Amino acid sequence: MTTLSLPTKSPAYTLVEGLREPAAASAVRRGAPDEWAREELLLRKLGSKGWGRVYQFRNYYESGWGEKGRVLSPRALDAFFRFLEDATFPNATTVPSVFLTDRGGIELCWEDRNGKSVQVEFTGTGAEFYNAATDEEGVVALDGLTHLSQRLSA
Amino acid sequence: MPLAQAEDIVRAVCTDKWDGERLSPSLFVGENISVSRLAVIRLADHWDLFRQYVQKPPERWLELIAQINVGRLQNIGRSQNPAVALTVEPKPVDWNPAHAEIPQKITRGLASKILPELTLHQPPPQPSFPTTPLRYK
Repeated sequence: MTTLSLPTKSPAYTLVEGLREPAAASAVRRGAPDEWAREELLLRKLGSKGWGRVYQFRNYYESGWGEKGRVLSPRALDAFFRFLEDATFPNATTVPSVFLTDRGGIELCWEDRNGKSVQVEFTGTGAEFYNAATDEEGVVALDGLTHLSQRLSA
Repeated sequence: MPLAQAEDIVRAVCTDKWDGERLSPSLFVGENISVSRLAVIRLADHWDLFRQYVQKPPERWLELIAQINVGRLQNIGRSQNPAVALTVEPKPVDWNPAHAEIPQKITRGLASKILPELTLHQPPPQPSFPTTPLRYK
Protein backbone atom coordinates (compact mmCIF):
# COMPACT_ATOMS: atom_id res chain seq x y z
CA MET A 1 0.00 0.00 0.00
CA THR A 2 1.21 3.39 -0.88
CA THR A 3 0.82 6.18 1.64
CA LEU A 4 0.78 9.67 0.41
CA SER A 5 2.02 12.32 2.70
CA LEU A 6 2.39 15.97 2.16
CA PRO A 7 5.92 17.10 1.83
CA THR A 8 7.13 18.90 4.94
CA LYS A 9 7.42 22.55 4.28
CA SER A 10 9.43 24.97 6.22
CA PRO A 11 7.20 27.59 7.90
CA ALA A 12 6.54 30.80 6.04
CA TYR A 13 8.25 32.73 8.82
CA THR A 14 10.21 32.07 11.99
CA LEU A 15 10.36 34.24 15.06
CA VAL A 16 13.72 35.62 15.97
CA GLU A 17 15.08 34.31 19.27
CA GLY A 18 14.16 37.41 21.24
CA LEU A 19 10.48 37.17 20.31
CA ARG A 20 9.97 33.50 21.16
CA GLU A 21 7.94 33.02 24.30
CA PRO A 22 8.92 30.24 26.68
CA ALA A 23 6.05 27.86 27.42
CA ALA A 24 6.12 28.66 31.13
CA ALA A 25 5.72 32.37 30.55
CA SER A 26 2.82 31.97 28.16
CA ALA A 27 0.86 29.78 30.57
CA VAL A 28 -1.93 31.37 32.62
CA ARG A 29 -0.67 32.21 36.06
CA ARG A 30 -2.97 31.19 38.86
CA GLY A 31 -2.62 32.21 42.48
CA ALA A 32 -2.26 29.65 45.22
CA PRO A 33 -5.61 28.53 46.72
CA ASP A 34 -5.08 30.57 49.90
CA GLU A 35 -4.34 33.53 47.66
CA TRP A 36 -7.84 33.24 46.18
CA ALA A 37 -9.31 33.17 49.66
CA ARG A 38 -7.39 36.33 50.50
CA GLU A 39 -8.63 38.10 47.41
CA GLU A 40 -12.20 37.10 48.22
CA LEU A 41 -11.69 38.37 51.79
CA LEU A 42 -10.38 41.69 50.49
CA LEU A 43 -13.32 42.15 48.15
CA ARG A 44 -15.83 41.21 50.84
CA LYS A 45 -14.44 43.50 53.54
CA LEU A 46 -12.84 46.37 51.62
CA GLY A 47 -14.66 46.34 48.29
CA SER A 48 -13.14 46.64 44.84
CA LYS A 49 -11.31 49.86 45.70
CA GLY A 50 -9.55 48.28 48.68
CA TRP A 51 -8.75 45.17 46.63
CA GLY A 52 -7.27 47.32 43.86
CA ARG A 53 -5.16 49.39 46.23
CA VAL A 54 -3.68 46.35 47.96
CA TYR A 55 -2.94 44.85 44.54
CA GLN A 56 -1.11 48.05 43.53
CA PHE A 57 0.85 48.25 46.80
CA ARG A 58 1.96 44.63 46.41
CA ASN A 59 2.90 44.74 42.77
CA TYR A 60 3.88 48.24 41.76
CA TYR A 61 5.52 49.98 44.74
CA GLU A 62 9.18 49.01 44.51
CA SER A 63 11.81 49.73 47.15
CA GLY A 64 12.60 53.44 47.30
CA TRP A 65 9.13 54.59 46.21
CA GLY A 66 8.25 58.09 47.27
CA GLU A 67 10.75 59.87 49.49
CA LYS A 68 12.25 56.89 51.31
CA GLY A 69 9.54 54.28 51.06
CA ARG A 70 10.13 50.60 51.67
CA VAL A 71 8.51 47.80 49.75
CA LEU A 72 5.42 46.29 51.42
CA SER A 73 6.55 43.78 54.04
CA PRO A 74 5.15 40.25 53.45
CA ARG A 75 4.88 39.78 57.23
CA ALA A 76 2.92 43.03 57.50
CA LEU A 77 0.60 41.79 54.77
CA ASP A 78 0.10 38.48 56.60
CA ALA A 79 -0.75 40.39 59.78
CA PHE A 80 -3.18 42.57 57.82
CA PHE A 81 -5.01 39.54 56.41
CA ARG A 82 -5.10 37.83 59.80
CA PHE A 83 -6.70 40.94 61.32
CA LEU A 84 -9.11 41.36 58.43
CA GLU A 85 -10.44 37.80 58.83
CA ASP A 86 -11.54 38.50 62.39
CA ALA A 87 -12.60 42.14 62.00
CA THR A 88 -16.14 43.38 61.58
CA PHE A 89 -16.77 46.94 60.46
CA PRO A 90 -19.92 49.01 61.03
CA ASN A 91 -22.32 49.20 58.12
CA ALA A 92 -21.25 52.70 57.23
CA THR A 93 -21.64 54.32 53.84
CA THR A 94 -17.93 53.94 53.18
CA VAL A 95 -15.77 50.85 53.54
CA PRO A 96 -12.44 51.10 55.40
CA SER A 97 -9.53 52.76 53.60
CA VAL A 98 -6.18 51.10 53.05
CA PHE A 99 -2.83 52.91 52.75
CA LEU A 100 0.82 52.02 52.28
CA THR A 101 3.19 53.48 54.88
CA ASP A 102 6.76 54.64 54.25
CA ARG A 103 8.23 51.88 56.43
CA GLY A 104 6.60 49.15 54.35
CA GLY A 105 3.54 48.68 56.53
CA ILE A 106 -0.09 48.63 55.51
CA GLU A 107 -2.63 50.83 57.25
CA LEU A 108 -6.36 50.37 57.72
CA CYS A 109 -8.63 53.29 58.69
CA TRP A 110 -12.35 53.37 59.35
CA GLU A 111 -14.93 55.00 61.66
CA ASP A 112 -16.74 53.30 64.53
CA ARG A 113 -20.53 53.44 65.01
CA ASN A 114 -20.22 56.95 66.44
CA GLY A 115 -18.10 58.22 63.58
CA LYS A 116 -14.85 58.20 65.58
CA SER A 117 -11.66 57.29 63.78
CA VAL A 118 -10.05 53.87 64.25
CA GLN A 119 -6.65 53.12 62.69
CA VAL A 120 -4.32 50.14 62.61
CA GLU A 121 -0.95 49.99 60.89
CA PHE A 122 0.40 46.48 60.32
CA THR A 123 4.17 46.05 60.31
CA GLY A 124 6.57 43.12 60.17
CA THR A 125 6.44 42.76 63.96
CA GLY A 126 2.81 43.47 64.81
CA ALA A 127 0.47 46.42 64.69
CA GLU A 128 0.26 50.01 65.87
CA PHE A 129 -3.25 51.29 66.60
CA TYR A 130 -5.19 54.39 67.56
CA ASN A 131 -8.78 54.58 68.74
CA ALA A 132 -10.12 58.15 68.74
CA ALA A 133 -13.14 57.24 70.88
CA THR A 134 -10.88 56.48 73.84
CA ASP A 135 -7.83 58.48 72.63
CA GLU A 136 -5.90 55.25 73.15
CA GLU A 137 -2.88 54.32 71.08
CA GLY A 138 -0.46 51.45 71.37
CA VAL A 139 1.42 48.59 69.81
CA VAL A 140 0.61 44.86 69.81
CA ALA A 141 2.75 41.89 68.75
CA LEU A 142 1.66 39.50 66.00
CA ASP A 143 0.08 37.11 68.50
CA GLY A 144 -2.15 39.90 69.82
CA LEU A 145 -3.88 40.66 66.53
CA THR A 146 -7.00 38.57 67.15
CA HIS A 147 -7.57 40.25 70.49
CA LEU A 148 -6.97 43.70 68.94
CA SER A 149 -9.40 42.90 66.17
CA GLN A 150 -12.10 42.01 68.69
CA ARG A 151 -11.43 45.16 70.72
CA LEU A 152 -11.59 47.52 67.76
CA SER A 153 -14.39 45.84 65.84
CA ALA A 154 -17.91 47.16 65.90
CA MET B 1 16.53 78.54 63.46
CA PRO B 2 12.93 77.25 63.62
CA LEU B 3 10.27 78.78 61.39
CA ALA B 4 8.13 81.59 62.74
CA GLN B 5 4.58 80.80 63.85
CA ALA B 6 3.18 82.96 61.07
CA GLU B 7 4.60 80.75 58.30
CA ASP B 8 2.51 78.21 56.43
CA ILE B 9 3.90 74.85 55.39
CA VAL B 10 2.68 72.25 52.88
CA ARG B 11 3.09 68.52 52.37
CA ALA B 12 2.53 66.54 49.19
CA VAL B 13 -0.30 63.98 49.36
CA CYS B 14 0.15 61.13 46.88
CA THR B 15 -2.00 58.10 46.02
CA ASP B 16 -0.43 55.96 48.76
CA LYS B 17 -1.82 58.38 51.40
CA TRP B 18 -5.17 59.34 49.83
CA ASP B 19 -7.83 57.03 48.45
CA GLY B 20 -10.30 59.69 47.38
CA GLU B 21 -12.19 59.62 50.68
CA ARG B 22 -9.79 59.48 53.59
CA LEU B 23 -6.34 60.86 54.29
CA SER B 24 -3.79 58.51 55.81
CA PRO B 25 -2.74 59.52 59.36
CA SER B 26 0.72 58.16 58.55
CA LEU B 27 1.19 61.30 56.44
CA PHE B 28 2.30 62.93 59.71
CA VAL B 29 3.41 59.94 61.83
CA GLY B 30 7.10 59.59 62.73
CA GLU B 31 10.19 61.79 62.96
CA ASN B 32 11.72 64.28 60.52
CA ILE B 33 8.53 64.73 58.52
CA SER B 34 9.31 66.58 55.28
CA VAL B 35 7.37 69.73 54.53
CA SER B 36 7.83 72.73 52.29
CA ARG B 37 7.57 76.47 53.01
CA LEU B 38 5.09 78.70 51.21
CA ALA B 39 7.18 81.71 52.24
CA VAL B 40 9.93 80.49 49.91
CA ILE B 41 7.94 78.92 47.06
CA ARG B 42 4.33 79.87 46.42
CA LEU B 43 1.62 77.21 46.39
CA ALA B 44 1.04 77.38 42.63
CA ASP B 45 4.70 76.47 41.99
CA HIS B 46 4.65 73.58 44.44
CA TRP B 47 2.45 71.60 42.05
CA ASP B 48 5.19 71.47 39.43
CA LEU B 49 7.88 70.86 42.04
CA PHE B 50 6.06 67.94 43.67
CA ARG B 51 5.05 66.47 40.31
CA GLN B 52 8.66 66.52 39.20
CA TYR B 53 10.33 65.25 42.37
CA VAL B 54 7.78 63.59 44.66
CA GLN B 55 5.32 61.69 42.51
CA LYS B 56 6.68 58.55 40.84
CA PRO B 57 4.42 57.47 37.99
CA PRO B 58 2.95 55.06 37.18
CA GLU B 59 2.24 53.91 40.73
CA ARG B 60 2.47 57.08 42.78
CA TRP B 61 0.65 60.24 41.71
CA LEU B 62 0.35 63.61 43.39
CA GLU B 63 -3.30 64.01 44.43
CA LEU B 64 -3.46 66.93 46.85
CA ILE B 65 -1.33 69.44 48.70
CA ALA B 66 -2.01 69.71 52.44
CA GLN B 67 -1.37 73.06 54.13
CA ILE B 68 -1.11 74.06 57.79
CA ASN B 69 0.07 77.10 59.71
CA VAL B 70 3.15 76.53 61.91
CA GLY B 71 1.56 78.24 64.93
CA ARG B 72 -1.56 76.09 64.57
CA LEU B 73 0.60 72.96 64.37
CA GLN B 74 2.41 73.98 67.55
CA ASN B 75 -0.89 74.59 69.36
CA ILE B 76 -2.04 71.08 68.48
CA GLY B 77 1.22 69.68 69.89
CA ARG B 78 0.85 71.67 73.09
CA SER B 79 -2.72 70.48 73.61
CA GLN B 80 -1.67 66.84 73.36
CA ASN B 81 -1.30 64.88 76.63
CA PRO B 82 1.66 64.78 77.27
CA ALA B 83 2.40 68.04 75.40
CA VAL B 84 4.78 67.91 72.44
CA ALA B 85 6.81 71.03 71.56
CA LEU B 86 6.68 70.86 67.77
CA THR B 87 9.06 72.95 65.66
CA VAL B 88 9.70 73.23 61.93
CA GLU B 89 13.35 73.51 60.93
CA PRO B 90 14.48 74.76 57.52
CA LYS B 91 16.43 72.03 55.65
CA PRO B 92 16.92 73.19 52.05
CA VAL B 93 17.81 70.43 49.59
CA ASP B 94 19.04 70.54 45.98
CA TRP B 95 15.63 70.08 44.44
CA ASN B 96 13.72 72.18 46.95
CA PRO B 97 15.13 75.32 48.64
CA ALA B 98 11.86 75.53 50.62
CA HIS B 99 12.30 72.09 52.19
CA ALA B 100 11.91 71.90 55.99
CA GLU B 101 11.43 69.17 58.58
CA ILE B 102 9.48 68.57 61.77
CA PRO B 103 12.18 66.81 63.83
CA GLN B 104 10.06 65.68 66.79
CA LYS B 105 8.38 62.29 66.90
CA ILE B 106 4.71 62.58 66.00
CA THR B 107 2.61 59.71 67.33
CA ARG B 108 -0.44 58.29 65.58
CA GLY B 109 -2.72 59.98 68.12
CA LEU B 110 -1.13 63.39 67.56
CA ALA B 111 -1.15 62.94 63.77
CA SER B 112 -4.88 62.19 63.97
CA LYS B 113 -5.41 65.61 65.56
CA ILE B 114 -3.33 67.36 62.89
CA LEU B 115 -5.24 65.88 59.94
CA PRO B 116 -8.58 67.68 60.51
CA GLU B 117 -6.71 71.00 60.69
CA LEU B 118 -5.14 70.65 57.25
CA THR B 119 -6.33 72.70 54.31
CA LEU B 120 -6.43 70.37 51.31
CA HIS B 121 -5.71 71.91 47.91
CA GLN B 122 -6.92 70.24 44.73
CA PRO B 123 -4.72 70.38 41.63
CA PRO B 124 -5.32 73.46 39.49
CA PRO B 125 -7.31 72.83 36.31
CA GLN B 126 -5.19 71.83 33.35
CA PRO B 127 -4.89 74.49 30.62
CA SER B 128 -7.41 73.81 27.89
CA PHE B 129 -6.58 73.59 24.22
CA PRO B 130 -7.46 76.60 22.07
CA THR B 131 -10.91 76.26 20.56
CA THR B 132 -10.15 78.47 17.57
CA PRO B 133 -8.80 76.36 14.71
CA LEU B 134 -5.25 77.08 13.81
CA ARG B 135 -4.54 78.25 10.27
CA TYR B 136 -1.45 77.33 8.39
CA LYS B 137 -0.33 79.44 5.52
